[in-house]
Amino acid sequence: MRVILESKVRKKPNIPIEAEAIIPRNFLKGTDLLVYEGNKERTLSELFWIFVEGTAVSPENIEVVLKGDTSRIKRVGEYMDTGSILISGDIGMHCGNFMSGGTIEILGNADAWLGREMRGGTILCRGNAGHYCATGYRGEKKGMQGGRVEVFGSAGDFCAEYLAGGEVHVHGSVGDFPGVEMRGGQLIIDGDATRPCANMKDGTCVILGRVHEMIPTFEKVERRVIPEWNITADVYRGDIANRGKGTLMVKTAGSE
Amino acid sequence: MNEILVKNACVIDPIRGINGDIMDIAIRDGRIVESVSDRAEIIDAHRCLTLPGGIDSHTHVCGTKVNFGRYMSPEDMRAGRTRRHGRMHVTSGYYVPTTFGNSYRYSAMGYTTLLEGAMAPLEARHTHEEFTATPHQDMLANTLFDGNWAVMDAVREKNIPKTAAIVGWTLNAVKGYAIKLTNPGGTEAWGWGEDLTSIHEKVPHFEVTPSEIITTMIRANELLRLPHSVHLHCNNLGKPGNYQTTLDTFDLVPDLNPDRQTLYATHVQFHAYGGGTWRNICSKAEDITRSINSKPQIVMDMGQIMFCRTMTMTADGPMEFNLHCLHHNKWSNHDVELETGSGIIPVTYSKKSAVNCIMWAIGLELALLTKNPWQCLLETDNPNGAPFVKYPEVIGLLMSKRYRDEECATLHADTERRTSLFALEREMDWHDIAVMTRAGQAKALGIVNQGKGHLGAGAEADIAIYPIRTDSVDPAREYRKVVEGFQKTRFTIKRGRVVSRDGEIIVDGANATFWTNALIPEDIRVDNDPEFIRRFQEFYTVRMSNYPVQDLYLPRGRRVDTEAFS
Ligand SMILES: [Zn+2]
Repeated sequence: MRVILESKVRKKPNIPIEAEAIIPRNFLKGTDLLVYEGNKERTLSELFWIFVEGTAVSPENIEVVLKGDTSRIKRVGEYMDTGSILISGDIGMHCGNFMSGGTIEILGNADAWLGREMRGGTILCRGNAGHYCATGYRGEKKGMQGGRVEVFGSAGDFCAEYLAGGEVHVHGSVGDFPGVEMRGGQLIIDGDATRPCANMKDGTCVILGRVHEMIPTFEKVERRVIPEWNITADVYRGDIANRGKGTLMVKTAGSE
Repeated sequence: MNEILVKNACVIDPIRGINGDIMDIAIRDGRIVESVSDRAEIIDAHRCLTLPGGIDSHTHVCGTKVNFGRYMSPEDMRAGRTRRHGRMHVTSGYYVPTTFGNSYRYSAMGYTTLLEGAMAPLEARHTHEEFTATPHQDMLANTLFDGNWAVMDAVREKNIPKTAAIVGWTLNAVKGYAIKLTNPGGTEAWGWGEDLTSIHEKVPHFEVTPSEIITTMIRANELLRLPHSVHLHCNNLGKPGNYQTTLDTFDLVPDLNPDRQTLYATHVQFHAYGGGTWRNICSKAEDITRSINSKPQIVMDMGQIMFCRTMTMTADGPMEFNLHCLHHNKWSNHDVELETGSGIIPVTYSKKSAVNCIMWAIGLELALLTKNPWQCLLETDNPNGAPFVKYPEVIGLLMSKRYRDEECATLHADTERRTSLFALEREMDWHDIAVMTRAGQAKALGIVNQGKGHLGAGAEADIAIYPIRTDSVDPAREYRKVVEGFQKTRFTIKRGRVVSRDGEIIVDGANATFWTNALIPEDIRVDNDPEFIRRFQEFYTVRMSNYPVQDLYLPRGRRVDTEAFS
């Protein structure tokens, strides 16, 4: 079954919509869902043109497609456990919070907090992701714990902060402090990064581009060939300031 | 004229010697009176348990330390969220809730008066602002003097009147209620990167010992005729083997006041550990209570811990640093110029931890082994041992051996061997609980004369009516009903108005803040002492004239004058 939600033109398009109800499972029982526009409760049909194609008996066969201006829609896919969501444009903050299964694909850019506290499933972002991509919530000790986030563009600051499990792959560059406070999992950055992995406890971070302002409390262990990446890399352990046992691999300049 | 008649109340009022009588309570204009007119609003209590409003004599709900706990734990704001509705503001937070969250939850549990356990004098304005935003309870502030430079100088000079004059001036300036000593001397030593390990060790640069600070402050407190006694958080909190320090401290305390204790020792659970390391820590509650049982001049509170995630916050900076080294979690540390310091770290008390299980058992042992319930009050050092919303469970545990046995069966196996709790048969009764949650507090804080903690004519009409029928509930067996009953009153009446009904707040609050004003003879007042003024101007970052808290910070301040030096 495919559910197509095409956003209607709004009088005040800047007012954010909180739409945690938009997950595939919820459409098994119809399209009578409630969302918030600012502090006003709205039915889905007040904000979207809704088209339903086919039927489904189980949620894993449901695909939700979001079209139109969706850049101010927050929390799409929150607690999603199965099925798929395809977003044809940009998506607002907190897309895929707590997601545990299924797939979200964003053809445009994603705003901040993409895949926050994710536990499983896959998020593909074809454009850029904002700050705090694949992280935890403020104050909590564990961030993303499982699943996979792949960003084909670049990501903002604090990418994969408190990462505890799963895989985050950014094809472009990231901003400041990627992988800070990492507890586990794998973070791969094809482009450049600034001050990576501060206070890292465990896990692995691979950076294929340039590192700006390397944190001084990382201990260089060796330089070796990394067959799975087909590169020569400097391998560091840290963050030794707090007895961290993480691994940070930075491609040696000029090696292929 | 505003009149209420509470009919058919099953009243326990320990201060007036009433234990379960069915009676009516007449209220006019916020006070309890002998009788009211027939136009009075009637509240039928249906023979439910009716007690004076609850009083918490040691809690941390307002001020810089509490607020920094909020800063540090945004994750806590994901819990305890309630929407704005009716008269209620939005609330959030579980162990460090918003001020309104604290106020509503305390009110739902029947609490009408709170003593903030630790106010740094220099940061008093923040405390008073948050008092105003905790509108359903009257507030009092313990004022920290543990590392006060002027006090330590006067102690070194063995000058009790001068010590009293400094304390009196400071309480007046910051609108504080009582003297709090937190790890006396130790917090100042921590400012120099050190801690004290015995009450006879000297504070660096001041050449005074904790024992001298404690004994001098006790004398100064009585010279000022303050309503409350010195309120002490003993040295060596949370260290295995610290019970000896606690016993040594108790032995310092003379019996100086016929109306109340001479020392209030707070959260004694944290100070009753035997052994020498975390591996062999054990309970010394029997030794501590043996001392308490022979010293009517001391009142303590339990400092019960409950198994949950919470936040520890105290002026005891070095202790929090030690805990931080154990847990490697977030930590804050703060120095308050010439006065005190503080530390904050989050903690999770777990049944998997032998140490936590022993701590849990010790709190209950202290209460059950103290013969006189007026000497061991029910507190968790909120939120250090547990958030105050756990009080009903503590009550249930004290009233039911069966409840304790069921809990004990789920604890770490070492608990039975290293504590005496499993062998204790005592089950407290409704009267004991009324003493340990309001009457004892009122007497210990010296606010009975302010109309607190009892329901006699003239008292403040602060009343809690719980949905508990003491004639039909057997607390030993039906402890669940006891716990539920104490979680939510049918009615909480504050100063003659029903503020909370079945847990719902129905009016805007209008609390008062009590503070003490000791009348000190002109010739020894410190604001006339050039040396005090010179040192103040030299060392503080604020001018002495800007130090006192302006009246506008206390929209409903209630000054308690004392006949000091008389
Ligand atoms: Zn305390």
